[in-house]
Amino acid sequence: MIIQLLAALGGTIGFSILYSAPKEQYVSCGLTGMVGWAVFLLLTRFAAFSAPAATFCATFIVAILARIVARIRKCPATVFLITGIFPLIPGGSIYWTAYYLVMNDSDLAAHYGFLAMKIVFALVLGIVFVQDIPKRIFRVFKREDTVR
Amino acid sequence: MEPIMNSNDSKITANEEQNGSAAGTDTSTSCTEENVSRVLDIATKAGRILLENGAEISRVEETMVRIAAHYGVRHDNFFVLANGIFTTGWDRNNEWPGSFAKVLHIPMRATRLDRIAAVNQLSRSIIDGKYTLDEAESRLAEIRESSPKSKWLQLAGAFLGSACFSVLFGGSLYDAVGSAVTGFFVWLFMLYVYQPYLSKITGNITGSVLATMICIVLHKLGIGNTLGQMIIGAVVLLIPGVAFTNGVRDIADGDYISGVVRLLDAMLGFLCIAVGVGVTFLILRYLFGGVI
Repeated sequence: MIIQLLAALGGTIGFSILYSAPKEQYVSCGLTGMVGWAVFLLLTRFAAFSAPAATFCATFIVAILARIVARIRKCPATVFLITGIFPLIPGGSIYWTAYYLVMNDSDLAAHYGFLAMKIVFALVLGIVFVQDIPKRIFRVFKREDTVR
Repeated sequence: MEPIMNSNDSKITANEEQNGSAAGTDTSTSCTEENVSRVLDIATKAGRILLENGAEISRVEETMVRIAAHYGVRHDNFFVLANGIFTTGWDRNNEWPGSFAKVLHIPMRATRLDRIAAVNQLSRSIIDGKYTLDEAESRLAEIRESSPKSKWLQLAGAFLGSACFSVLFGGSLYDAVGSAVTGFFVWLFMLYVYQPYLSKITGNITGSVLATMICIVLHKLGIGNTLGQMIIGAVVLLIPGVAFTNGVRDIADGDYISGVVRLLDAMLGFLCIAVGVGVTFLILRYLFGGVI
């Protein structure tokens, strides 16, 4: 579990380097990704959530966190959202779909393909819902340089 | 574009209040022909930097409207698509009877989140009255030419990312080593072959073929124990996460055209990666037979 969390932290930091996030934000990006993955792990392991349901909750939290961190760190939310969401993208399911397709195991291929689609849909919903939360709610979190 | 006009109006009032309270520093300019054109040109330049480096449409439009409004150009229209910006404008007091129109084609480039953050910061400073037109223009040019992260740092990022993601998807620490090595080479390919020469489709397919090949070789050499997790960790580097996230956000904002284009871009990316992995397995199975 701890190794998994460290991996989420490192993986997200790795991607924030690849997408040239500002240096000061590496750790914030990493932490956002780590929290998302922690939520996912907790829900799937201890609350018996299915992967898509857990992905939805985790995405929701990552997206909210990205907006909060964006205000605190004075940096657009996009930076934290794009990097933080990476661990939740169903790379595994997509790989297994391709693998079983080639291995002529259509049952398993369909299973993983369908799973990947459900997870992607959960990601979409999570992002969309948070996007529609009005900006002023996040004003609670201070930016030092605002005039307002 | 109803939403733009609305946000434009609200920005104006906010801006006027601010100008009233700001102590002394007034960088907004009067409307002469030259100024209207310059302001809209600068706003468009800011929009271009945001768009080509992977910002969502609503952010691009908002930033452009804010910058233009601060410098006193109020009758402007910005229409932003995933790969183009259309700007028109005219003078509010009719002191200047002319009008300004510009269409920019903007191909998507590699994602540079630092540039988005920099333009965002600049637009805030402009609204706070800290930049004159000249300063804003030179700062934008500076941002546009800011150098990318050093190749070694990027390779280190790929190394770290691949290792971590293979663990994340259930691999052992031993798999992570193999994955990291593969990720390193995949990013080398990305830097020297994919980005300068290849289209997205060819690039993603060949990239994932390369990743799968290297992983299989390493696996045969005895590095790493589960092949699947190693390949996933390496292939993750090619996943179009930015296009996907932005596509979703654009659709959430109601920018359907751009959102759909970006989502299609992302889906094509996912598909190409899967094809690359699949084809490699197929060929190897044909050559050597049996399950790998």
